[in-house]
Amino acid sequence: MDARHPLDFLTNPERFMAFSRWAAPMFGAIAAVLGLAGLFLTFAAPEDYQQHDTVRMMFIHVPAAVMSMLIYLFLGIASLLALIFRHALADAAAQACAPLGAVFTALALVTGSLWGKPMWGTWWQWDARMTSVLVLFLFYLGYLALRSALEDEQKAARAAAILALVGLINLPVVKFSVEWWNTLHQGSSTLFAAPENRLPAVYLWPWALMTLAYLSAFGSLWLVRIRALVWRRKARALALRLAER
Amino acid sequence: MHLDFDAGKYAVYMWPAFGISVLAFAWMIGDSLARARHWKRELERLQAEVKAGAGEPKA
Repeated sequence: MDARHPLDFLTNPERFMAFSRWAAPMFGAIAAVLGLAGLFLTFAAPEDYQQHDTVRMMFIHVPAAVMSMLIYLFLGIASLLALIFRHALADAAAQACAPLGAVFTALALVTGSLWGKPMWGTWWQWDARMTSVLVLFLFYLGYLALRSALEDEQKAARAAAILALVGLINLPVVKFSVEWWNTLHQGSSTLFAAPENRLPAVYLWPWALMTLAYLSAFGSLWLVRIRALVWRRKARALALRLAER
Repeated sequence: MHLDFDAGKYAVYMWPAFGISVLAFAWMIGDSLARARHWKRELERLQAEVKAGAGEPKA
């Protein structure tokens, strides 16, 4: 396929549209089932001896934080592919995941603040983890602002893609900030943590189910938003054709 | 299995966190579906216009 022009992909979008037509509702259904199971285990888990009932906030805060980083990684990869190959689907994938990533990052910040107040005695601390997540949120906002600020969509896509790539530098800072600096945040205690630091199964299961639910929900919404962008680009191409008559 | 919804003195922090998460998901789902529906309808409208115009004699 000749992908020199972003609209070229839209001359033959059938394969993606056929896949996403069944995949989007399937991921949505999986997210609903996993989310309900995760919420059940969230409220069935016993109180923690130190964190008491606030331990349940871990099952919505940590998945949101994981998604904020993962979605940015997707944004960076899609932006790179869009820049190198000028592939319209890659550009649509980047554009579609940015608002979702911004929402998950905002959720991580807000739920973290609500968890921090009773546990640390403060809503906010300028420590490495919280500050780097705030920077991540600002990169998402910058990406969205650039895409909407420039009238020329191709220029906007290119500028936003470059910004997304620059923002990738922040991802390892977010991930390893708790190891590189002394922060209020504890180190990892989930799947990849050392066995002695790992959560007990009674907390690991609701965390895992909620994380998978968030991931499936994102997958479903991402596909829906890419479909909307494909339809939008086709509609604009058609509108242009009609105007030229 | 016993479900514990009583967060005691932490309820003031816990329930807003869950509420905000529900609202965020509701917005993401609503906005994504609304955008998809809008552009699908717009495309169908334009396709119908093109189809109708194809039968018309050129000026």
